[in-house]
Amino acid sequence: MNDPRRGTTLDHALRSIAEEDARLCASPAVEANAMAAFHEVARARHRRRRRIVAALGVAAVVVAMAVGGFEVRRLNSGEPSFQTSDVKLQTSSEVATAFLPLAYSGVPIADGHVVRLEVPRASLISFGLVPADDVGSESASSGTVLADVIVGDDGLARAVRFVRRPLRKETRQ
Amino acid sequence: MNDRGLLERVRRGDHEAFSQLYALYQSAIYRYAAHMCGAAAADDIVQDTFVAILRQPSRYDPARGPILGYLLGIARHYVSKRLAAGGHESPLDAFDPQGDRGAAAETLAPDTPLDAATRDELVAQVRDAIASLPPVYREAVVLCELQELDYASAAAIMRCPIGTVRSRLHRAKALLTAKLAERHGAAAVMMRPNR
Repeated sequence: MNDPRRGTTLDHALRSIAEEDARLCASPAVEANAMAAFHEVARARHRRRRRIVAALGVAAVVVAMAVGGFEVRRLNSGEPSFQTSDVKLQTSSEVATAFLPLAYSGVPIADGHVVRLEVPRASLISFGLVPADDVGSESASSGTVLADVIVGDDGLARAVRFVRRPLRKETRQ
Repeated sequence: MNDRGLLERVRRGDHEAFSQLYALYQSAIYRYAAHMCGAAAADDIVQDTFVAILRQPSRYDPARGPILGYLLGIARHYVSKRLAAGGHESPLDAFDPQGDRGAAAETLAPDTPLDAATRDELVAQVRDAIASLPPVYREAVVLCELQELDYASAAAIMRCPIGTVRSRLHRAKALLTAKLAERHGAAAVMMRPNR
């Protein structure tokens, strides 16, 4: 610039504008809308995550059904709500633990199934249970135990209980 | 909490982190948008910018600069779209027919009334002059002078070399001075001291 005073004056004016503008901000409505968008995105992510977990749950059950012997019993198909207390053991001589909650036990359930499958005996330990000395039971020799898993219609497993079938000598009595 | 940590918390759905991010940077985005598109559009651009961040929080790369630059880069995208949609101004990346090289050759009016204008009047005049600048030059003034970003940060936002930022800023200041001189040409003659 030819006259250094011009640049200085302009610079002063620009600094004044910067200082005045420092107080400017978006309207409160923008923050409200942004927060609403945040919650919507969070909800969408949660839904997507649940769908993925449900799909994985369904896949796990399908695999379990394909690999091991299983038995599916539909619980009170006419009932709108699912109640674990309706579950009955196959035979009166079967011994079972209480239903133990799984990771998705807190997710509301409208209807579901009990899936019986064989799981490794080590699964008992992971629930803090000590494998019983049930030599002679049907599954002892195979290193598995029977388990009833409550699976909601959304594919999420809610609870599990372990079942011991009667020993042969008990059966004979 | 660094920028990356803050965005990571936003990505995980941390409401507090998003509130903090908004509180820290909304004003800077608003000011940039207001100068580039007007106050009426600035609110929308702030909102669009933060919604965009929500959708893709993982895209921020700390190696490319502070988060403000990243946010202003997103805002710039929306500013550019609005300018293009408006049709009355050239988009930010449009070719400048006079070229950035012309900055040094810009001639100024021989005298300006800047020294004689009162401060408030001058500030108002400079505001108007900034608003009337072509977007590419206005952006350089807004980022480097009003937002006080360094040339490197401004270059990252404007997606151009640092030298281009310098030349655009230089030319922008020359244009501002010329516009003010033009506006007050008569006054300048009247106020010129006798020598």
